[in-house]
Amino acid sequence: MKTLRMTMVLMAIVALILAACAPATPQVVKETVEVEKQVVVTQEVVKEVPAQRAVVRLSGWAASPEETALLQSLLLDFTAENPDIVVKYEPITGDFWATLKTSIAAGTEPDIYYMDIFQFPAFVQDDVMLPLDDLMATTGTKKEEFIPSLIDAFSANGKVYGIPKDFNTLGLFYNKDLFAQAGLAEPTDDWTWDDLKTAAEKLSNPANNIYGLGVPADAGRFPIFVFQNGGSIMTPDFQDTLLDSPEAIEAGKFYTSFRAEKIGAIPADVGEGWQGTVFGKGQFAMVYEGGWLIPYLKQQFPNINYGVVVPPAGPKGEGNLIFTVAYVISKNSKNPEAAWRVINYLTSEAAQRKVMESGFALPTRLSLQESDYLKTNPASAAIFRGALQGARPFMWGLVGSDVNDQMTKALERVYLENQSVEESFKQAAEAIRQKLAELK
Amino acid sequence: MTASSAPLAPALTLRQKARRRRETLTAYTFLLPYLFIFLVFTVFSIGYAFYLSFTRYNLLSPPQWWGLEGYRRVLCVESWFPRPEGAPRPTCDDLFIRKALPNTFKYTAIVVPVQTIISLVLAFAMDQKIRFRRLFRTIFYLPSVTSSVVISLIFVWLFSPIGVINQIFRLNINWLNDPRYAFYTIMMVNIFTTSGTLMLIFLAGLQDIPTALYEAAAIDGANKFQIFRYITIPMLRPVIFFVVTVGIIGCFQVFDQIYVMTAGGPLDSTTTIAYLIYKWAFRDTTVKMGQASAAAFILALIIFIVTLLQRRIIEGSGTVSQ
Repeated sequence: MKTLRMTMVLMAIVALILAACAPATPQVVKETVEVEKQVVVTQEVVKEVPAQRAVVRLSGWAASPEETALLQSLLLDFTAENPDIVVKYEPITGDFWATLKTSIAAGTEPDIYYMDIFQFPAFVQDDVMLPLDDLMATTGTKKEEFIPSLIDAFSANGKVYGIPKDFNTLGLFYNKDLFAQAGLAEPTDDWTWDDLKTAAEKLSNPANNIYGLGVPADAGRFPIFVFQNGGSIMTPDFQDTLLDSPEAIEAGKFYTSFRAEKIGAIPADVGEGWQGTVFGKGQFAMVYEGGWLIPYLKQQFPNINYGVVVPPAGPKGEGNLIFTVAYVISKNSKNPEAAWRVINYLTSEAAQRKVMESGFALPTRLSLQESDYLKTNPASAAIFRGALQGARPFMWGLVGSDVNDQMTKALERVYLENQSVEESFKQAAEAIRQKLAELK
Repeated sequence: MTASSAPLAPALTLRQKARRRRETLTAYTFLLPYLFIFLVFTVFSIGYAFYLSFTRYNLLSPPQWWGLEGYRRVLCVESWFPRPEGAPRPTCDDLFIRKALPNTFKYTAIVVPVQTIISLVLAFAMDQKIRFRRLFRTIFYLPSVTSSVVISLIFVWLFSPIGVINQIFRLNINWLNDPRYAFYTIMMVNIFTTSGTLMLIFLAGLQDIPTALYEAAAIDGANKFQIFRYITIPMLRPVIFFVVTVGIIGCFQVFDQIYVMTAGGPLDSTTTIAYLIYKWAFRDTTVKMGQASAAAFILALIIFIVTLLQRRIIEGSGTVSQ
């Protein structure tokens, strides 16, 4: 292009010189045709500039530099394919929710942002997100293409508000070496509570600071025991708590019995803040953790020999928690169509396959459950399977943080103050009811 | 000379007047950037927070006028109200009265005297002619110039169940995870951090005391303790007032160490008013900005009253005043 232009300019100069030298020759007319061509070229450039490029701002938390780089490379691919859209990636470091909520208050929120299922109810109630159903229809994206428990979690009042970008469930991580030392058969997906307890008894050696199971006072772990016992944390409409129901109290008794019998411990007992580290050090033989533990172990404890199965079933069957994050569009977005195209690209099969293969997150599309990656990575596959069997979202309605606080305190009172499970759970349930009353 | 300068005088004052006016203008011009920031980020913010304290506001939808309801919720406890079966719950947030308020007072009551005495003793020691005193001064002052978050993280390590403190003293205490100890651990961190700054203020005060007084006392045969008790302390009274005031205000607002080390736990044993304000305003899934603003104004009022009282006590008990 450039060389062509250059030659044309040169020819025009030559033509001018020729014209100056020898006016009124028929050759000059021939050269002006070439000049006209040059004008056509400049007009093309002029056309490109005024074409509207929709600007879409996208914000999320920055989990790790590698993950940010991956997202940026996906966005780069997107802009190459869609030159009419400019995506501005604006990660929020520090307190994401405080920053996001204040930016919504100020009316300066990004077009697309991450939405954690835990925070979803408050955003639905105040109607700050755009329903996506109509936009999904424009690209022929169907709800059924996603794992039902995930897309349903981000639906409310019959409308889809968010497209799940990735998810995690809890798996039972076990230390293969400790199992071999105790002469125990490794856990399978068919394990039950009884198997869990028997194994914990045989694996524990409190004198050497080795415990069978990690049982932290953590609201992100304990609820699966309530689910497995046929109970629930909140009523289906989230207007009341079921933490003082017999099912929950029984689950609480089972969960806290591990520490009471010294066959389980909380991370603080061995001087750590998180049981993932304790597991890596080989002091907890089994822990309930999510897929995030896999890259952590790979980096910090590369020599640990471990396996992952879905959480053992309780008296009333399977139960698991789903931690999931979606892309949502702000109701105030000036370019909802462009924003939707960005989301649609980022949650497409190709993009999700790329994310999965980099090992950061599990895909939310059903079509990827048969992928080779999951076949060759049994640990990730166990976490993926967790979403398909009796799993419920990690979400307790509008008072979610209070429910979490109270669940943690209920367990702490049993652990640290020797309160009875019934009394402690009743106290927690009353405190949650007080918070529910405050909403009115 | 005087005759020639007299008629010039009014002309000079005029010029002086003009100059003074110009100087005032220059001063305000220099102050303008700061004044602008002060008005927008301090005066306006406080005013807006005062308005918000009378509203219900969750950030996602516009504030609604709520009158004194936010203040009522902060200041009541559910069990104060008799509740017949089936009657609606009184909407009280027990945490403020039950935990945050007593915790904050307990914290201030312990930390302020301890840090004042420690820093006074340190300053007195640093004022003596001992070896390496410059080095010691630097060491004692070092925590004050370090970020409180960094210090908190170091203390989390030191006070971990398998940490240095437990190892040295052969203890088995779960400092930060036991409701009996967690708050005292945080108090220790804060005393450690602030004592250096207060020591420096005391040191400046000590060096302001005229040596003649010490010499006179020495001639009269006073011993070291008597000199400290009857010369140093009375002469330091204005400095003590300053240190105690700054200490009280800082203690009532304690936040960062708690945020980093315990997040208000275990079992709310380290929840203070400032932490509770943060929790309501930013941490809860349903943001309670109005209620948090109300608590902030209650805290400001408490600090105001306590400072007034303390001023009465310290200034009333002596003759030395500033």
